Amino acid sequence: MSELTAPIAGNVWKILVAVGDKVEMDDEVIILEALKMETPIYCEESGTIAEIKIKEGDAVNEGDVLVIFG
Amino acid sequence: MSRKQTPLRPYFEKMAEIGKELREGEVRRSQANVDLVREQEAIISQEVERVRNAGIPAEKIHQRGGMTIYDRLDYLVDEGTWNPLHTLYNPADNEEGCTGVVNGLGKIEGKWAVIIGFDNKVMAGAWIAGQAENILMVTDLAKRLNIPLVWMTNCSGVKLMEQETVYAGRRSSGAPFYRHADLNHLGIPILNGIYGTNPAGGGYQGISPTILLAHDGANIAVGGAGIVGGMNPKGYIDEEAAQALIEGTKNFKGKAPGRVETHFDQTAYFREAHDTEQGVLDGIKDYMRMMPAYDPTMFRVAEPAEPRLNVEDLNLILPANQKRPYDAIQILARLTDNSEFMEYRPDYGREVFTGIAKIDGFPVAFIGNQQGVFPGYPEYAKGEYPGVGGKHYREGLIKQGEFVTLCGRDNLPIIWLQDTTGIDVGDLAEEAELLALGQSLVYSIEQTELSMMCVVLRKGTAAAHYIMCGPQANNNNAFTLGTPLTEIYVMHGETAAAASYARRLVKEDDAGNDLSPILDKMNQMIQDYQDKSRPVYSAEKGFVDEIVSLTDLRKYIQAFTGANYQNPKSITPVHQMLLPRIIKG
Repeated sequence: MSELTAPIAGNVWKILVAVGDKVEMDDEVIILEALKMETPIYCEESGTIAEIKIKEGDAVNEGDVLVIFG
Repeated sequence: MSRKQTPLRPYFEKMAEIGKELREGEVRRSQANVDLVREQEAIISQEVERVRNAGIPAEKIHQRGGMTIYDRLDYLVDEGTWNPLHTLYNPADNEEGCTGVVNGLGKIEGKWAVIIGFDNKVMAGAWIAGQAENILMVTDLAKRLNIPLVWMTNCSGVKLMEQETVYAGRRSSGAPFYRHADLNHLGIPILNGIYGTNPAGGGYQGISPTILLAHDGANIAVGGAGIVGGMNPKGYIDEEAAQALIEGTKNFKGKAPGRVETHFDQTAYFREAHDTEQGVLDGIKDYMRMMPAYDPTMFRVAEPAEPRLNVEDLNLILPANQKRPYDAIQILARLTDNSEFMEYRPDYGREVFTGIAKIDGFPVAFIGNQQGVFPGYPEYAKGEYPGVGGKHYREGLIKQGEFVTLCGRDNLPIIWLQDTTGIDVGDLAEEAELLALGQSLVYSIEQTELSMMCVVLRKGTAAAHYIMCGPQANNNNAFTLGTPLTEIYVMHGETAAAASYARRLVKEDDAGNDLSPILDKMNQMIQDYQDKSRPVYSAEKGFVDEIVSLTDLRKYIQAFTGANYQNPKSITPVHQMLLPRIIKG
């Protein structure tokens, strides 16, 4: 089971997927907001979203798990 | 057996390849970005078309058997080499919708020239507001690149109804005559094809260049014949004076002075007189063949090559969303020959890249902002905050200053790729000497004799827009380009609104007052910043010299580079260059 982690600390601005969604490599999944910038998080492989560990507005730290793929 | 090669072949023939092909998913998810770029391009194209159609319709000129400035340019300039500049420039918002001159960088008979002509559709080439500044930018460009200036003069003189906007002042319409004298003094020739009636200001516009070639119907003179005495002791025009004017005008039979019969047959100011408009342009072509120009072999370090990676990708890579980061090296890889780059100190000052590349086989330097987040950097922040792309920190400023100085020593023209939000601020930044290091970079630029070209890819903001050789670098900046995604302002509108109204908000809030009037002002300010920083506005006001599609950037870079190496004033023997050796170590 693979997962996506936060590359930097910031706030979760947008979640673009829902549990059960099928996603492909390079799809945009989550947008973090930090330092007045948007940091988009992309899928590194194709799969299905099994679990979303955060909600919009949450503060996350670098390395926190954001999404788990099934 | 004879053998030949390019100099310092081990350094230049094959540099490190940079960039990578876009993956299918990257292309897929960026299609919306392409649409946003195209949307901006459509707005810009519409404005360019509006300027092209300024004044009387081209058909009217054609019906008279004449050529418009655009016809003349089409005939004169080598196909595919025209790089227009200042197309939308109209800083005084003239009712004509332009400044009445058309100019750019192009090749004539295989040689680069700065080319400018009066738009004879617009009040027969009258002096109108903003025109002198446009001409001064053009004369500066010829001076900077040390290449010929080619004029197509067709100038009816001052738009008399608005003389106060053009006639007087330090940088008024008389200043170009001094600039022409300056160029001549510096050994930079000015070729002048003369058409139509050119009285007074038009006369000096005609006489001030180096070589004068006239159309048979042209004249240049201190003043026009059509100025019928309008002064009378009353100091105003009444019915009687008007009737006298009407009679005087009806009975006026004189020809304009300074015709070909005078200035070819008698004074011999005109080297040539031609009975066709094309003949004048053919004459300019003949003179262009006489202009000094090295064969490119003299300065090339490799065979010219197109970028290995697809230039069209630029519309996918550079995000229209200004808050989005991207890989700046992916942009660079679509601009340089064979997508190669020899990077200077990549591990120091990570927020900027500096290094040498080839454009059409000529060596050039590139400096640009990296994007993204740099955890653990800058060191002086001691982990309190990470570095972000587009900002400048201590190491990056030192690196740029060092690199520019070495480029000056090696005579490498510099192309700056700006996408900057500013220089780091705060006590830590001051202790890290960023104020002085920013100005130190300005000093480094100024003490070189190099030509530089600036591209504001997206943001040109705060002092960082200045220190990265923005147009304020009057002596070095040849021209500055914007793109469909350019925004230029002192700071983002939201930041400016906060800075302007934060204390007022506190005061009103403490007093228990309704905040909405202040919020309205703040939001209006944000909107104003947005409206007055967009590409078309930036071009109209002269924040940039032209807005160029991302896919056309390389064409302008090629023109800048080729023009720079056509007849350089200073030469560093390639085998004596230091930078490639420093980079190799």
